[in-house]
Amino acid sequence: MNKAIVTDIQRASVHDGPGLRTTVFFKGCPLNCVWCHNPESINPNPQIMHYSDKCIGCGKCEDGCFSGAKVVCGKEMTAEEIFAEILQDKPNYANNGGATFSGGEPLLYKEILKELILLCKNNGITTAIETSLFLFDPEILSSVDFVMADFKIWDGEEHKKYTGVNNDIIKENFKHLDTLNVPFVVRTPIIPTINDSIEEIVAIRDFIKDFKNILDYELLPYHPLGVTKQKALGLPETRFIVPENSKMEILRSYANIKAKN
Amino acid sequence: MLTLKQRIDAIRKTKVEHTLKKREQNGYTDLDDFGTVPLPENYIVQPWYNSENGSFYGLDGMAENFCRVMDAHAPYVDPLEMLCGRWRDMLVNYRGDIHYMPNWRKAQVKESDFSGVTAQWSKRWDEKRFPYDHLKPLQKKYNIQTGIDGDAHLACDYTIGLKLGFGGFLEKIEKYRKINPDKKAFYDAEEKCVWAIIRFIDRHIAEIEKQIETESCPEIKESLEKMLLVNKSIRLGTPKTFYEACQWVAHFNCASRVYTRDGAGFQLDTVLLPYYENDIKNGILDDETAKFLIANLLLIDPHYYQISGVDVNDKDITNHLSYLILEAADMINISCNLTVRVHENCDKAFFNKAVYYLLKNKNAWPRFCSDKNLCEGYMKNGISKEIARKRIAVGCNWMCVPGIEFPMNDTVKINIAKVLENALDDMKAEPSKSTKRLFELFEEHLKIATEVTAAGVNLHIDHQADVTPELIMNLMMEDTLEKGLDISQCAKLYTVGVDGAGLAVVADSFGALNLRVETEKLLSWEEVYKNLQNNFAGVQGERIRLLLNSSPKYCGGNTVSDEWAKRITNIWVKTIKSQKMPDGRQLVPGWFSWARTIEYGKAVGATPNGRKAGEPISHGANPNPHFRTDGAVTAQSNGIAAVQCGYGNTAPLQIEFDPKLADDQKGIEIVGGLIKSHFEQGGTLININVLDTDKLMQAHENPEMHPDLVVRVTGFTAYFASLSPEFRQLVVERFLTN
Repeated sequence: MNKAIVTDIQRASVHDGPGLRTTVFFKGCPLNCVWCHNPESINPNPQIMHYSDKCIGCGKCEDGCFSGAKVVCGKEMTAEEIFAEILQDKPNYANNGGATFSGGEPLLYKEILKELILLCKNNGITTAIETSLFLFDPEILSSVDFVMADFKIWDGEEHKKYTGVNNDIIKENFKHLDTLNVPFVVRTPIIPTINDSIEEIVAIRDFIKDFKNILDYELLPYHPLGVTKQKALGLPETRFIVPENSKMEILRSYANIKAKN
Repeated sequence: MLTLKQRIDAIRKTKVEHTLKKREQNGYTDLDDFGTVPLPENYIVQPWYNSENGSFYGLDGMAENFCRVMDAHAPYVDPLEMLCGRWRDMLVNYRGDIHYMPNWRKAQVKESDFSGVTAQWSKRWDEKRFPYDHLKPLQKKYNIQTGIDGDAHLACDYTIGLKLGFGGFLEKIEKYRKINPDKKAFYDAEEKCVWAIIRFIDRHIAEIEKQIETESCPEIKESLEKMLLVNKSIRLGTPKTFYEACQWVAHFNCASRVYTRDGAGFQLDTVLLPYYENDIKNGILDDETAKFLIANLLLIDPHYYQISGVDVNDKDITNHLSYLILEAADMINISCNLTVRVHENCDKAFFNKAVYYLLKNKNAWPRFCSDKNLCEGYMKNGISKEIARKRIAVGCNWMCVPGIEFPMNDTVKINIAKVLENALDDMKAEPSKSTKRLFELFEEHLKIATEVTAAGVNLHIDHQADVTPELIMNLMMEDTLEKGLDISQCAKLYTVGVDGAGLAVVADSFGALNLRVETEKLLSWEEVYKNLQNNFAGVQGERIRLLLNSSPKYCGGNTVSDEWAKRITNIWVKTIKSQKMPDGRQLVPGWFSWARTIEYGKAVGATPNGRKAGEPISHGANPNPHFRTDGAVTAQSNGIAAVQCGYGNTAPLQIEFDPKLADDQKGIEIVGGLIKSHFEQGGTLININVLDTDKLMQAHENPEMHPDLVVRVTGFTAYFASLSPEFRQLVVERFLTN
């Protein structure tokens, strides 16, 4: 039976697509963005996270930790098990809510995703996916109701420097995505000193603006949620400055693809 | 030219000043704002005690002291308002009730006046004449809020009063006095109370006249002159216009509050509709003035009013006035207890607008109740649909049929965490321990607790008329003046609400024992008992506490504790409903703690869900804090919908959250969807605090920064700045959980 490693399933999410959603965070990502706010979802294997401030010093770590000081991140789950969680909020999805597959990179788990999408469809639950588009699966991407795809940095070299991969394949995948007739949103996380320039946003905007299935181009401000988790994973801490609202507003004015036409 | 908007802004500013001043006079109060204004300097009431225990009872005691407190009330006329009158003090302040007693009053009483008074037992009940010492040991054993000495937890039929006016009350009293000559004391007391209200109005008339003389601003002078005419007209006469009806209600509410803090309102949008429509037809009212008047009424007192809903034929009753009421509440945007009745036939645009205001103002209003589940549930008590439909939201967690029901709702509670403690104590000595056995013992204790609760309820109903007759509410109830009887004696319906408190503590306790002791075998029963006894002392005790506390909780979503919560609900409903009651009375189950979670918690030792001794119990039907790492409101909604008691009383869903949603289409769809889906799953009442995280945290740190921040503490709203630090912490914890 196919299993996926899942870091978390978050219910009642309002920022991972339309309506109220259940977001499934898969573990494992081909990218390694220095600003990642879910660094625990990069490594595809279960990991131990240590929160020393929660330790009560009972000395019984091996018998099981219940204080939250030592947490296993990543649980093996079948599609049925994941779907059982998604199904719990069926009464709350209304017309446009549903399940969002996120990560990490959900497209690492193609077979599970196909099973999940089918289960959702058979139960009248809409689906969405959040992806870096470094991987591509036309069958999966054309079967979900909504796609949220990241375009992180325009320049290929810079992209490789900060995410670990070149973006040529991502650009090609964006073009391919637009042929699938699935509505999608493009998102760029704004990381000060890396991609917070008008030129950067304009370059991405000009690349995506003529896609026929694009709904919106969203800019998301960096937030430092990942730093604590990097520490808990024993990784070097990488912290950026949170962009000011005024800066975000300026950049957003250039990201308005509806106005460009 | 002073606009209505400018007047409202000024009135709001005064309200903030009053809130701060009241906190100075009263101390922290974990209570409804009540709409009171600060006491003037040198305010004093000399109560008349007709009982040697230092309290007053019965027709003469209540009527005389009502007159004394009412007569001590100086008029309140703010020339910027259109309505006048405010209340400041209540009779209960003179009957040894510590729970409600403000600081200014505590400073007036001697230490000796508190003899025999505890948080649970005050001098509101005449124990000399109607003792219940035989019930007290068990009441204490199960931490029962007995309802004995409760009052005002019923609802007036305002159409009776609006049809009669204060003069009409006097005429009705005279008429029936002749028919029932043996009820002279009753009619004397009623008459005396009505005259005290009329004198209250007279003082306002005099004050308005005084202000007119010195007022220099022409439009304010004109406004005061209208206020004068209205007050003169309704002094004895029947309210004829929308303005007069609002002012009449305001005065009645002040009197009813002073008497027994009665906060039950009425179906605001239909009861006032004929006055509105008539005035519009006659060209003497416009919508802006109507809104100002409603805003003024809401300012005078945050009574529980219901709006929207359907009639007996399931036809939508939402009307233009319903919209104006929402707009008026938005205009004044203060502590407010409007409840929107939701039914699938109701105007969708109105529902969306109500949700919009919840998101826009983030001031905890309105709240929402489900017509279908409340109405159909209440009918299961053998009540017709016609009557059940009239049962409206008029209290913290409760509903009532105006004019005919005596529900004692929200005054009777059993702390089921304490019931569990007793079951655990019994099982301790037994050789074989299991959750199955514990549940059997829990059921046995619950039966005893219910029997003693019922005995208390019956004692109360049998004697309330001799202790605290509802002299003010009787004026607008059916058969009271007609028969010369108190409503406690002649109600058509005695569907008495009994709420269970501490559901999540008990469900999580059973769940944790089931999982950690029986399934996973990580812990023995002996270790559990040892740690409950020593309150999880030491670092190993703390580890065991965390082991229990990290067990999947109620509202986690299909967890072991969710299953226990349903089992506990089933046994709770079965026990309450099967309790035999005399004279057509019956008990109706619900889940609610009101604002007593801290107090109830203090009575309970450590519990197997990892809760330490004395810590607060869970709130209402809500889960314990940290019930899920994501705090999903949908999981909470599903969990609470699954534990509804099903007989027309509520297990409210209380949510505090900052969904970071704008008051736009998406926000309305999401929050509106959440409300509807809770009701579709069986939910009854939703109290939502949509809060701004930054504002709440700033106010938690320094309440003075946001003296206008309103939170829905439980069924009622209050100014966050007025709450005790302990209670502010509870609200913040609930918020952080979501």
